[in-house]
Amino acid sequence: MKFKTFFGATALFVLTAASGSAADKDAADTAVEAAKKYAGTTISIVWEAGLQSLDPLNYSGPQWEKLTGIKVKVVEVPTDQMFTKIMQDFKSGAGAYDALNVIPSWMPDLARAGALEPLDKYVDKFGYRDELQDIAAAYRDNQMQYDGKIYGFPDDGDVMLLYYRKDIFEDPKMKEQFKAKFGYDLAPPKDWKQFDEIGQFITDKMAPKVYGAGFFRTAPYPQYMFQERFRTEGGKFFNADTMKATVNSDIGLKVFKGMLAENKFMPPGVEQWNFVDNLAAFLQGTTAMTISWPPYGRWAAGYGSGEEALKWVPKSQVAGKVGYALTPLGRPELGVGFDLSVSATSKNKEAAYLFIQWLNSKKTSLERVQLPYTLRDPFRLSHYASEKYRSLWPDATAYLDTIKTSGEKGLLDLSLLQQDKYDEAMTKAISSLWAGEDAKAILDRLAQQFDAITEKVGIENQKAVYKVWAAKPGAYPQ
Amino acid sequence: MTLSASLNGAEQRRPSRFGRMLENRLPYLIVAPAILILLLVGLFPLIYSLIVSFQRITMTENDTSFVGLLNYAELFRDTRLWASLGHTAVITAVALPLEFLIGFLMAQLFIDRLPGRQLFVALLVLPTVISPIVAGATWRLMFDVRFGPIGQILSFFAGEPVRILWTVNPAYVYPAIIICEVWQWSPFMFLLLLAALSNVDQSQLEAAEIDGASYLRVLRAVILPSIAPVVAVACLIRSLDLVRIFDIVWALTEGGPGSITETISLYTYVQGFSQFETSYTAAISFLVIALLTVITTLVLKRMELAR
Repeated sequence: MKFKTFFGATALFVLTAASGSAADKDAADTAVEAAKKYAGTTISIVWEAGLQSLDPLNYSGPQWEKLTGIKVKVVEVPTDQMFTKIMQDFKSGAGAYDALNVIPSWMPDLARAGALEPLDKYVDKFGYRDELQDIAAAYRDNQMQYDGKIYGFPDDGDVMLLYYRKDIFEDPKMKEQFKAKFGYDLAPPKDWKQFDEIGQFITDKMAPKVYGAGFFRTAPYPQYMFQERFRTEGGKFFNADTMKATVNSDIGLKVFKGMLAENKFMPPGVEQWNFVDNLAAFLQGTTAMTISWPPYGRWAAGYGSGEEALKWVPKSQVAGKVGYALTPLGRPELGVGFDLSVSATSKNKEAAYLFIQWLNSKKTSLERVQLPYTLRDPFRLSHYASEKYRSLWPDATAYLDTIKTSGEKGLLDLSLLQQDKYDEAMTKAISSLWAGEDAKAILDRLAQQFDAITEKVGIENQKAVYKVWAAKPGAYPQ
Repeated sequence: MTLSASLNGAEQRRPSRFGRMLENRLPYLIVAPAILILLLVGLFPLIYSLIVSFQRITMTENDTSFVGLLNYAELFRDTRLWASLGHTAVITAVALPLEFLIGFLMAQLFIDRLPGRQLFVALLVLPTVISPIVAGATWRLMFDVRFGPIGQILSFFAGEPVRILWTVNPAYVYPAIIICEVWQWSPFMFLLLLAALSNVDQSQLEAAEIDGASYLRVLRAVILPSIAPVVAVACLIRSLDLVRIFDIVWALTEGGPGSITETISLYTYVQGFSQFETSYTAAISFLVIALLTVITTLVLKRMELAR
């Protein structure tokens, strides 16, 4: 009896000590320890080509190899080819990729096709569920799962922010003249009417030195801006009962006309601007307002300007002069984003999983989102609260607070079966708009294309997916 | 036995049946492996694509059962497909004559043996060796409304800012594509036509000159008929290339704005590699093969008749 009691107590003590040790080890350390048995192997990861891949090439890949002995081969792929490459690899069964970067709106298609490995068993095996709760709800609740299973870890807090020139908005003369003309204070626009008025006012006063605003207008990104504005103005993509597209409603027409009209107070040639053109214009002080993802804010502040990898970024002429705000109507599009996933055809699934757990963990991700050249934006509550991050430049606190609020109010990208077809249709529609085609005709054609895609996918199939998506808080403004 | 007798005997000793068979079949046996490999590499994908075009393989379906002419029927309902063929026809119809004309004029310029001719010819041919995607990307920069030299040169001559959105304005996208295409491939025509013009019978030219024939008469009656076979082949090669045009259009406009510069190659790429309509893409490929075969056959028949 005494022996049994002693044995039981000892066992309990050992178990408590062991679980205590496990609790002390965070997800990053757990991943590293577990991955060491795969030392000597090489895993490949698909990553967006260009600046995005500087992270795994210069920081996380070498770091992982140092910690675990596993080599990381980064396969750089342009964004518009990532879906294609992932599906090609899966359909051919080649198994060339182990880990993946996946845009969340692709998840239904990739998961249904069987191209993504469900991660729940690994999450439980390596105790990652707790740290997943630190991911901001906008991303955690909407970009991680499909059909109740985890297929990816949100790894990029993409959300559109409005950047504006504080110095222009706070100039006493500009403020006085604006108030006299429009009857309200010159401040970040609350709606698109104010945006147009402010933009035109600044252009009238300061062009050609400074224009009121500039946006990227070339494929593939403007369609996210359309998605946001269409919904914040009250539009719905589909009739939920019939699945008929309703993008060609009066609201769609209003948005299209609004987008076209804005070009008039933007710099000449804005219709050809891509992400970099727009960035360059804002950093050089040519535009007073723009909307884009969080990296603009960091680079406008001059963060990382001495980095070799950022030599291509024009030197910011507006450091210290940039304010951050929610986009007009206060419901910004999350816009793209990236999840870390494991390929279903990988021959090194566990090793690949451990790498993405380590990458995505609280500890590692905080380092990664602070890299000067990173395009990965803060996406965890711990990122927003990080004292270290908040001290990176004078306005970093306001920057992080705005990103956090924007994420909380963010609108999800439309995510249906064969979403890339709907995206392509929207992209083509917007480029037709810049080309001068009649807005109503474009929207009617877009609606027809949406209907044709829905019919091909299967109306009932798509209806079920749309119902789930539309029920999410971030799908339509409440 | 004398030597001659033994030789006669040898002459009269005929090879065996197997030996004769081997001798007759030896050339075929030697080339057979190469032919088999060519057939495997060339014919197998073609046959496999044909089979796939009668199946229903898409992103989400892997139905390899026979679905009849479903995909081919879809071809005729697909307005975007026929629009892309139309866009391709426009580019071909405009670019081909321009390439021929420029190539011909350049060849005429260089037909005489001038000092430095070889250097100039080598320089003129440079565009052809550049990768088409690089050519397209470079011209995209050249056409840029803010920083491109084309706009700046036009502005200089106009005396005021000229802001043409070459890759956005529907009125200018086709000229942009055709300028880039003609710039890159006229040298190819130039090379072929230079070789052809160099082989025109000089005595005929001299005779025509002595007879007082004008240049245009000489061109029509002597030069063009002499170089006609080369012209036909050159135009056939270029028209097949133009039907397959992809890189330049992709780099300049990606088929935009909207789909107004989407060529058949771009559309096939989008269907096959963006949207994974594998079986439908196979059907489109066979439609294109059929069209190109008709064109090629007609041209070759015309060449035969001319001969």
